Amino acid sequence: MKDLSELKKVEQYADQCMKCGFCSFFCPVYQEERIETGVARGKNYLAKLIIKGEQEFTPEMGEILGKCLLCKRCVANCPSKTQIDRVVVAARAQMVKEKGLGFIKGFVFRRAMANRKAMGRYARLMQTFQWLLPKTEGKVRHLPDFIKSLGGRNFPALARTFLREQVKTVYPAVGPRKMTVAFFMGCATDFVYPELGLSLISFLTRRGVEVRVPKEQNCCGAAILFSGDFATARFLADENVKALKDVDYVVTACGTCSSTLKDYKKYLAGNEDEEKRYGELESRVKDATEFIIDVLKVKPEELTLKKEFEGKTATWHDPCHLIRYQNIKEQPRAILKGLKGLTYAEMPNADLCCGMGGSFSVYHYDITKKIAAKKMEGIKATGADIVVTACPGCMINLLDNVLLNKMPQKVYHLLELVE
Amino acid sequence: MKESLIAEFRSIVGKENVLTSSEALKAYSYDGTTNWIREPDVVVFPTTASQVSAVLKIANKEKIPVTPRGGGTNVSGGSVPWLGGVALVMTKMNKIVRIDKENLTATVEPGVVLQDLTLRIAKDRLFFPPDPQSFLGATLGGIISENGGGPACVKYGVTKQYILGIEVVLPTGEIVNLGGRTLKNVVGYDLLHIFISAEGTLGVITKAELKLLPIPPVKKTIMAVYDDVAAAGESVYRVLENGVIPDKIELLDNWVINRIEEMMPIGLPKDADAVLLFECDGISEAVAKESEQIAETTKKYGAREVRIAKDDEDAAKYWMARKAGFAAVYGKAKTVFAEDVTVPRGKIPDLINKCKELAKKYDVEIIVLGHAGDGNLHPAILTDINNKDHYDRSVKAMHEIIEGAVELGGVLSGEHGIGLEKQKFFDKVTDPVVVNMMKGIKSLLDPNNIMNPGKIWD
Ligand SMILES: Cc1cc2nc3c(=O)[nH]c(=O)nc-3n(C[C@H](O)[C@H](O)[C@H](O)COP(=O)(O)OP(=O)(O)OC[C@H]3O[C@@H](n4cnc5c(N)ncnc54)[C@H](O)[C@@H]3O)c2cc1C
Ligand code: SF4
Ligand code: SF4
Repeated sequence: MKDLSELKKVEQYADQCMKCGFCSFFCPVYQEERIETGVARGKNYLAKLIIKGEQEFTPEMGEILGKCLLCKRCVANCPSKTQIDRVVVAARAQMVKEKGLGFIKGFVFRRAMANRKAMGRYARLMQTFQWLLPKTEGKVRHLPDFIKSLGGRNFPALARTFLREQVKTVYPAVGPRKMTVAFFMGCATDFVYPELGLSLISFLTRRGVEVRVPKEQNCCGAAILFSGDFATARFLADENVKALKDVDYVVTACGTCSSTLKDYKKYLAGNEDEEKRYGELESRVKDATEFIIDVLKVKPEELTLKKEFEGKTATWHDPCHLIRYQNIKEQPRAILKGLKGLTYAEMPNADLCCGMGGSFSVYHYDITKKIAAKKMEGIKATGADIVVTACPGCMINLLDNVLLNKMPQKVYHLLELVE
Repeated sequence: MKESLIAEFRSIVGKENVLTSSEALKAYSYDGTTNWIREPDVVVFPTTASQVSAVLKIANKEKIPVTPRGGGTNVSGGSVPWLGGVALVMTKMNKIVRIDKENLTATVEPGVVLQDLTLRIAKDRLFFPPDPQSFLGATLGGIISENGGGPACVKYGVTKQYILGIEVVLPTGEIVNLGGRTLKNVVGYDLLHIFISAEGTLGVITKAELKLLPIPPVKKTIMAVYDDVAAAGESVYRVLENGVIPDKIELLDNWVINRIEEMMPIGLPKDADAVLLFECDGISEAVAKESEQIAETTKKYGAREVRIAKDDEDAAKYWMARKAGFAAVYGKAKTVFAEDVTVPRGKIPDLINKCKELAKKYDVEIIVLGHAGDGNLHPAILTDINNKDHYDRSVKAMHEIIEGAVELGGVLSGEHGIGLEKQKFFDKVTDPVVVNMMKGIKSLLDPNNIMNPGKIWD
């Protein structure tokens, strides 16, 4: 008997599709290609055929499953709430089980990422050779390869010193301690945006929060999990569950990390023990944006805008992993609207995926650029000076496309705006 | 299919616009229905009328079936390539060619999705009145070919009233223009209208000239609550009889109300046997007056309560609920017969009573959720194809609903078309002389029967 265990788990979701085709309007991939295999309805139909034994994991099927940003636009707008993201991820996992890891292309970093040291070394290597490369603008350089795989795009420079080489394990609260949190770094913050991590730590300690930075924390595993390599993802999940114990909350500045830490249970739990441990972690994870507003109950008007942003107009990009994975929509807007000295302008397509889709953009950079071009139109329409978001993954892609489209806007993480 | 033919198609439309992988063929084997599935032999995406013409010439010579396809949202099996051959997918011909604000017209390619058109012309304060509720996926080519219509047809009518002209490629490859860009046109037979609701069996529409209207400045939503669904049915024609033509009148029955309240509680009266949703649009004085009159008339004819939406947001809630109704029906059963029978408005209460009777007689759930304003009620039967006994009873009930509707002076399909789904009834309810006229037209235009064969009649 063929192993279909992963797909069987999501069969109920796949069955919900009534083939109305509404998802075609929302799917960024379909909107570019206008081919049925690219839209939720098509992927879902093919996944159901796999379950029925009428479709194999052919290379073409691998392509089709790979061509999904997992942006959940389809899910959010589906009249019968078909959870195509779960179907796609399960199908990928099934494929990895059947065909082995090598079968799905597009996960260059799978091995390296699972091993945080190796990832660091790889990144370090890149950094060492960085000076060889032409400098485009400010912090941005063309890296060959992280290089080729990223399609010769504009990529932010790697930090001279990674965050974990700079952090202490404990930062006591300033004044009386209200609570203790673990700060989860995430790869992009660690390797590319260490200042972001430091400013979050300082922001929190100044508000009476003790911040611990457990050294044993690992990559959140988003790219690995979403590629269907559940075995490695479980390994990472277990590492993180262990590392992030004994604190009131786990806080991160990366939208993808917070959403992935919260979703271990949903995607990975295979037994009761895992359900319990992953569920327990989930209940304590907070994205920085929601932590500031919902837990610390900071009043946005009481925050201080950094000098350099005085008088500027900002627009907000909703990362898929915030708005649709975690339903975080109002918190960042409240902060932006509350900051005195800053003007807020909503872009018309704020919730449109930026086109990154993690490793999607590595293999479908052409589609990524087309999707991002639509995003750029939205940004232009606002006349904003700066584009603000809260996911380093989106930041990297927005930055690349702002430059490609020769736009004047700069891209920032929300936390970079506040003192 | 011969490899040499596929190579020819590739040279016409380009390599990237011909798909032959088994996965792609499977993804073009279905439409919005659940039960009709057949794979094409090749999927071709034309991008110009002359490409369509070149493809059809080959198909005609080789006698290969060609099934045009837009968004694949129809619910009658219309775009399923029943006899294999070419799935001719129009989704890449999706340009809005021109918007003429002086003449209130738009020229579009057939693959334009209705919602994309709506958003674009709204910038010029214009709208295209036919509003099939599948507007997020349906294309204008498909909408014209099914003569689609939605809630707003009470006041505005259906697609055929808004098509001024089309460019169509005949099965033999000629590209012809029918109709024009004027509101009046009596130059010989009205051939344009033969293609509207032809379900892709006479040719491929490659361009259309649409009539638009200015967006009315004000809208108002009124909900009337009933203890008897048949009384709600009566209210529909009473309101119209009293001189008010709302743009929409939709009916939700008790079952639907309760499913909606489970999914998204918005305060619909769960104990009501039915509610009617009215929408009036126009200039504000007229709309205010009409709303009052609707409230009066519905109360007089049995509404136990009438609510007028406070503002646009409140109104949006009611219409969200109406939209969710459809998902509710489909989400609750393995197999759904969504009927499309339409009766003259005065007969709505009779049709509703007939459905109630049949639900008892066959012990099945029959739901009424539809465009009450135009008599297009969409009775739906919830069943499961794997439960033979229940399924058989449902089929019988469905037959009787259709017979009943025809007896009441109605028709088999109001907006979904015949396709495959309604074939078995088509001959029964259509005058043989008329069927022969249709077949005559078909063989005149499509001598080799290559355009969407296997549809409408057996
Ligand atoms: C949830 C839901 C709600 C719906 N609500 C409504 C409603 O309110 N009102 C309504 O009228 N319908 C409704 N429908 C039915 C459906 O959306 C319509 O029939 C629609 O017009 C089909 O458009 P399409 O682009 O999807 O065409 P398809 O389904 O792809 O094709 C429909 C038919 O048109 C032919 N065709 C397509 N393009 C061309 C072309 N360029 N030239 C020649 N023939 C062509 C096809 O061969 C086929 O026979 C609904 C469907 C769903 C799933
Ligand atoms: S919108 Fe949902 S139900 Fe409709 S086709 Fe897409 S996945 Fe299926
Ligand atoms: S998750 Fe995004 S990319 Fe994937 S099918 Fe849905 S809308 Fe398309």
